[in-house]
Amino acid sequence: MDDEIISMFVDYLPLMYTATLMTVGLAVCSLLLGLILAVLFVVLETSKWTCVRRPTAVIVTLLRGLPEILVVFLIYFGAPEVVELITGRYVEFGPFGCGVVALSIIFAAYASQSLRGAIQAIALGQWESGAALGLSRSYTFVHIIMPQVWRHALPGLSNQWLVLLKDTALVSLIGVQDLMRQAELINTNTHQPFTWYGFAALIYLAVTLVSQVIIRQLERRFTRFERGTE
Amino acid sequence: MIHDYFMTIAQGIPTSLLLTVVALAIAFVLAVGLTFLLSMQNKLLKSAVNIYLTLFTGTPLLVQFFLIYYGPGQFQWVVNSPFWSLLSNAWFCAMLTLALNSAAYSAQLFHGAVKAIAKGQWESCAALGLSRWQTLKILIPYALKRALPSYSNEIILVFKGTSLASTITILDIMGYARQLYGTEYDALTIYGIAGVIYLLITGIATLLLRQLERRVLAFERLEVEKN
Repeated sequence: MDDEIISMFVDYLPLMYTATLMTVGLAVCSLLLGLILAVLFVVLETSKWTCVRRPTAVIVTLLRGLPEILVVFLIYFGAPEVVELITGRYVEFGPFGCGVVALSIIFAAYASQSLRGAIQAIALGQWESGAALGLSRSYTFVHIIMPQVWRHALPGLSNQWLVLLKDTALVSLIGVQDLMRQAELINTNTHQPFTWYGFAALIYLAVTLVSQVIIRQLERRFTRFERGTE
Repeated sequence: MIHDYFMTIAQGIPTSLLLTVVALAIAFVLAVGLTFLLSMQNKLLKSAVNIYLTLFTGTPLLVQFFLIYYGPGQFQWVVNSPFWSLLSNAWFCAMLTLALNSAAYSAQLFHGAVKAIAKGQWESCAALGLSRWQTLKILIPYALKRALPSYSNEIILVFKGTSLASTITILDIMGYARQLYGTEYDALTIYGIAGVIYLLITGIATLLLRQLERRVLAFERLEVEKN
């Protein structure tokens, strides 16, 4: 009996390992794309023109009111329809790409709020000093404001990263071979749902705990100049 | 056509709302209990509660749904036990998952609010000679009021979370939408309609909760005005 259990785990562990890498990869890709989108949302939301600012604010608010799974389905099943409407050709998109796009949009909808708050927390004097030194607005933004923004935005963003990590499980529903999907597949072979879903849950937990440790390190680094000269 | 789709998907609204309300009610009671346990000075109880919080806040809701709905069937003794009729019921499992999940997040919120209570309040209670338990009975309701703005967020999250119940065969808003998509293959319209329904409900809920917040937190505005 014990041998059976051990050999079963040995058979399926490599699969779970690849699936874990898939989940982490998915989350990291979504994080990178999501951060770019979030910055874009913030730039549009704080734009000089009301006709740009308003619609962006509405879209971001609406995105936050939708269930995540709905956004995933809308993009995965809806994108080919949109392409067909425009070009008249049926193109199918891979589940991984659609998953990343959906997750990064969800991430950006929340992250843009933390980012905007952080940008507004920077004293106006910083902008003015940049202007006084004859630096352009965009140069000031990238080289003077942004480095300070991360410090304020990190708590909000890291929280959002943990949410994103858990949301990756949703893309198993559109067929991405992530942890959740792999657990499902193994379960259809072994008929041990508790063991395998439980195992998947523990891996998610481990990834979450590891990222929490990394976040704490990052936070220390970003706030190192706040603690004064020791 | 859009009207037909809408009527079909709208059938799921009562299920989604009922799931949200029942799960939230149970989660709230559980969370208040957990907050009391966390605020008592009992190390063993505290670490037990913390393990529960880590387990439920550190894993995806979807995994929890699958674990609770499909998991118990693996064990023969569970199948033979009298609880099986409950545990094999998809609606009950969905409600239980949402309740346990929300209880963990809410307990974190409430505990944070308790920790944020000004030190002077604890000292006043101590000066009156109240025991830890009596102090908590006074301060926790106060903390709960302060936590209301973040708790409204949690309410919206639970409502959005009910959409995952469709993965364990529940016919809620999302469940009907997925069923309809299976026969009609019109993703944009069908999921679009479902999205509009979700947005309407979250929108109305947000407005109502904001009214409630204004009422419940009226005492804080008074303090500000006096200053």
